[in-house]
Amino acid sequence: MSYVDAGYCVVLGSLFAYAVSLVARERAARRRLPPAPDEAEQSAS
Amino acid sequence: MWHDAALVCRKDLLIELRSRVGLNQVVPFAAAVLLLFGLALGPDRRSLLPAAAGLFWIAVLLSAVLAIQRSFAVESADAGRDGLRLSGLDPAGIFLGKGAAVAAQLLVLEAVLTVGVAVLYGVPLGGGLVMAATCLLASVGLAAVGVVYGVVSSGLRVRETLLPLLFLPVAAPVLLAATKAWKAALSGTGSQYWTWLSLLAVFAVVYAAIGTVAFGPLLEDS
Amino acid sequence: MSTVSLPPRTKPAVGREPAGGRLGGRRSPSGRADVAVRALGVLALTGIVATCWLGLFVTPEAVNFGNLVRLLYIHPPMAWVAFLAYGFALATSLLYLWPRTRDPRLDRLAGASAEVGVVFTGLTLVTGSIWGRTTWGVWWTWDPLLTTTALLFVLYVGYLALRRVPGDRETVAKRAAIAAVIAFVDVPIVYFSVSWWRSLHQAPTVDLAGRHLYVHGLMAWTLLLGFASFSLAWAWLMVHRYRLATLRDREADEGLEVAIAERRAEGLP
Repeated sequence: MSYVDAGYCVVLGSLFAYAVSLVARERAARRRLPPAPDEAEQSAS
Repeated sequence: MWHDAALVCRKDLLIELRSRVGLNQVVPFAAAVLLLFGLALGPDRRSLLPAAAGLFWIAVLLSAVLAIQRSFAVESADAGRDGLRLSGLDPAGIFLGKGAAVAAQLLVLEAVLTVGVAVLYGVPLGGGLVMAATCLLASVGLAAVGVVYGVVSSGLRVRETLLPLLFLPVAAPVLLAATKAWKAALSGTGSQYWTWLSLLAVFAVVYAAIGTVAFGPLLEDS
Repeated sequence: MSTVSLPPRTKPAVGREPAGGRLGGRRSPSGRADVAVRALGVLALTGIVATCWLGLFVTPEAVNFGNLVRLLYIHPPMAWVAFLAYGFALATSLLYLWPRTRDPRLDRLAGASAEVGVVFTGLTLVTGSIWGRTTWGVWWTWDPLLTTTALLFVLYVGYLALRRVPGDRETVAKRAAIAAVIAFVDVPIVYFSVSWWRSLHQAPTVDLAGRHLYVHGLMAWTLLLGFASFSLAWAWLMVHRYRLATLRDREADEGLEVAIAERRAEGLP
């Protein structure tokens, strides 16, 4: 595998891993919370 | 604002004169750093001499961290910080005063270290005016950004590790420019030092401005 | 044993796809925002996959650079996104510092963007290092851009460390905002100082900016696609990191309320 391919793998792999970890932590945090009175507030961005 | 700055500066310097922590601890620390560098790089003057300017400024940078921590440690004793807030002093003035005090201490430190470097590393001193200008501008810049970071990390449990982590990367341009300016001065190579001195000046002005503006909101909370 | 009974734990409805599919008729703002974010993610992913496919297989090798040019489609986008992320963090930090627009959401946005920025900065360093390795055989060159990026990395890791410090939320937020401003202002200063520093040494011009590269046609489009896709990826990652921060803040707040309620309940006969 050339260095270029390795570079692509590192970039894609890291971003993917980060994305997965974010979503997983988000789900875990949501599960821990009781349902909010104001759902709209959560998705405000 | 300037009156308040003078007050705070005088207060900090008086504290330093009376307690002599800077003289008894920070300066010996810097000297120790110079010695350790000497030990690490070998007794051969040929390896020490080219690196001398850089080693000097690294020693200054590390000592600056201590000086800044000290500057804020004196406030946390006896609820000094609350006293500072309630005193009605202009926050910008407090910033300038503290910054000036730290800068003054750094200048004294640099004077001592210059002698140390001349003796330990055999640096032939020359181009004194440029070296002095470098020291002045660098000290002001380091003090400015240091005092802001000092208050940012004050009152937090992790401040001993946080301040160096925040301060040292930001101070990198000062290290670079000051080292280059000194090298130019020591070797007498022409007008190269102008770029470096102007960089140091820009750094000092920019961070003094930021500190003056930012100190107000920062001081509001504990 | 706590005498306070929490409301029964149910899985919140937000974030789950309605039974009718993604484009079902959810009218609530949170549903619409969720759809938008999902679309963003799909778009980003598609763009990235397309960029990689084009970059690795379809585009031709370049004169003088050969296969190395393929790194061009990901390295500059990484750097650009890091810059974008830090710029966004600066903007939200400034807004947060301004008393009239102070809002904890801005603080969370700043932190989220900075964290994503740090990830991309790290990737910039890795791809830049690989470029150096394949071109000059060394893992690190004191190239102005690469060195500035390395310093940037450390600067913002420090910023993230400051954010993690326990303390009153608003205090930490204000301090972090100032730190963000200081860090961002330092970047051009660092860049100029390192450039001058390098220009003094007659070292072979380590041109990581690839200015000698002639990019045209499909290569240019692929590069553009790379910039766009990774920017979208930044947006998606930032939104999710922001949500995570919001949830954690709420968790901390509610934990506090529960604890207070428990203390009060203990006082009752």
